[in-house]
Amino acid sequence: MLDVGRHPNISLMAYSEIEKVEGHEGNFTVTVRRKKRYVDEAKCTGCGACAEKCPTSVPDAFNTGLGTRKAIYSYFAQGIPSTHTIDPDFCRQLNGKKCGICQKTCQADAIDFDQEDKIVELDVAGIIIAAGYDVFDPSQIPEYRYSELPNVLTALEFERLLSASGPTDGHLDLPSDRAVEAEIKALEKKIGKSKRMLEKFEKKFDESSKQFYEKYNKGDYSDDKDRKKWADKYAEYLAIMEPLEDLKKKAESFTTAKRLAFIQCVGSRDFRFYPFCSGYCCMHSIKEAIIAHEHENETTSRIFGMDIRAIGKGFEEYKIRGGNNSNITYVRGRVGEISQGPNNNPVVTYEDTHERLVKSQEFDMVILATACVPTIGIIELAKILGVELDKYNFIKTSPFSPVDTNVPGIFACGCAGAPMDVPESVAQASSAAERAAEIAIQLRQVQNVQF
Amino acid sequence: MNKDILVIGGGIAGMQSSLDLADMGVKVHLVEKLPSIGGKMAQLDKTFPTNDCAI
Ligand SMILES: Cc1cc2nc3c(=O)[nH]c(=O)nc-3n(C[C@H](O)[C@H](O)[C@H](O)COP(=O)(O)OP(=O)(O)OC[C@H]3O[C@@H](n4cnc5c(N)ncnc54)[C@H](O)[C@@H]3O)c2cc1C
Ligand code: SF4
Repeated sequence: MLDVGRHPNISLMAYSEIEKVEGHEGNFTVTVRRKKRYVDEAKCTGCGACAEKCPTSVPDAFNTGLGTRKAIYSYFAQGIPSTHTIDPDFCRQLNGKKCGICQKTCQADAIDFDQEDKIVELDVAGIIIAAGYDVFDPSQIPEYRYSELPNVLTALEFERLLSASGPTDGHLDLPSDRAVEAEIKALEKKIGKSKRMLEKFEKKFDESSKQFYEKYNKGDYSDDKDRKKWADKYAEYLAIMEPLEDLKKKAESFTTAKRLAFIQCVGSRDFRFYPFCSGYCCMHSIKEAIIAHEHENETTSRIFGMDIRAIGKGFEEYKIRGGNNSNITYVRGRVGEISQGPNNNPVVTYEDTHERLVKSQEFDMVILATACVPTIGIIELAKILGVELDKYNFIKTSPFSPVDTNVPGIFACGCAGAPMDVPESVAQASSAAERAAEIAIQLRQVQNVQF
Repeated sequence: MNKDILVIGGGIAGMQSSLDLADMGVKVHLVEKLPSIGGKMAQLDKTFPTNDCAI
């Protein structure tokens, strides 16, 4: 990533979109919209002082919504470029409220609320589409109850939990527990406010709120307006304190997830959604189970699948190693249902096709290996480029020219063309680079002869 | 006529294409729709089959 940002031959335009493409192989004219960040890319040093001070918290897309970021943000800590961006949907200043704290904080004077989009025109000889993929939304599968059960996650969400730089610093905290902890935090904030208010009364009347309240309830001070207000405030305080104490007691027993279930082919190999095999998800479930076990060695994982597809250099060995060293068991069978068990624990009901029995098992966390699906916006992009899509809306290529599209001079690589893992994406990327270089270098030779 | 190449998308595939071309001496314009490049791989903790760090 760093190399891409630094290479003298690469001009990087992030936060930008393709608007128009005209021409043909060897001579395309491309219009790019560089979207306004409200931050001057030339001035921003990426120091992050603005984000620290920004008062507006927003769900963090990079952390799959499991954490928060500010309305002014860098996409992720090591992101290239590190230029910050203001989210116009949430920024207080851009939504007519008084704020501008980031502008006051920025030492580099990089914040520009009046910035406009910039249109850039490029002349290029060839184009490579590497627009990637999205993960399937499992809430479309009602029997897995992804939207209802807090401890049922997608594999991408689970990656963020495993990551040391993620929202839980790499701990497998249960989302249901995290929700309780967030509630505790919110109530503590309220209780702080309430306490400060009570202190004022206590100072004024030189008595503790508790003592006062006992007397008040006996009927003393019944006509005193100020004391009535005090009593109301104390009642409010108690109404917050009781649930807060209960939640805190509950939180004492919170532990990290140690019994994991991985469910394969969620949206893939499913005729209701995508009949194809996404290719990489068996492997990423094994990987995630191995890493979870590295984090805490009492972790056990069961991987439920029709079969485990470990096709690639060193993959089968990796699968066997996982079974031998990382407490992973592979269960052949398709999961029919996930239901709610005790303490928010998901219960997996499945058919064990070896024993020909329907069984149920309770877990701490269930991880769904969701399908690789065409990326949002690919239909519009294909229209702009004039390239054909296949029946699923991946870029159409053929098995014997896997990186060529139907338009000469336009190539595709990685998951934009079909589901594939990183090694295959990298191989295709080099292949597409070589196909594009043929055009660029041939042109260079022609031009050298002419001039 | 220009001899530059446009790469759309800055995930692992787009980054690899860009670097290969740039190393061959071809000028590349890399357009990414999100605020930073990296794609899905940047969101992964580690990658199979070597368990190397993804970033
Ligand atoms: C949970 C999970 C774990 C995985 N673990 C592994 C693993 O351990 N090992 C492994 O080999 N593979 C793994 N994979 C697969 C891996 O993520 C993919 O193979 C790889 O990321 C594909 O790279 P890509 O560049 O094609 O796509 P992406 O990473 O999707 O990159 C595409 C880029 O293009 C940008 N883009 C999209 N549309 C546009 C547009 N219109 N204009 C400009 N830019 C655009 C996107 O913002 C993105 O930055 C995993 C996948 C998942 C879901
Ligand atoms: S790789 Fe495994 S989990 Fe993914 S679709 Fe294929 S068989 Fe199913």
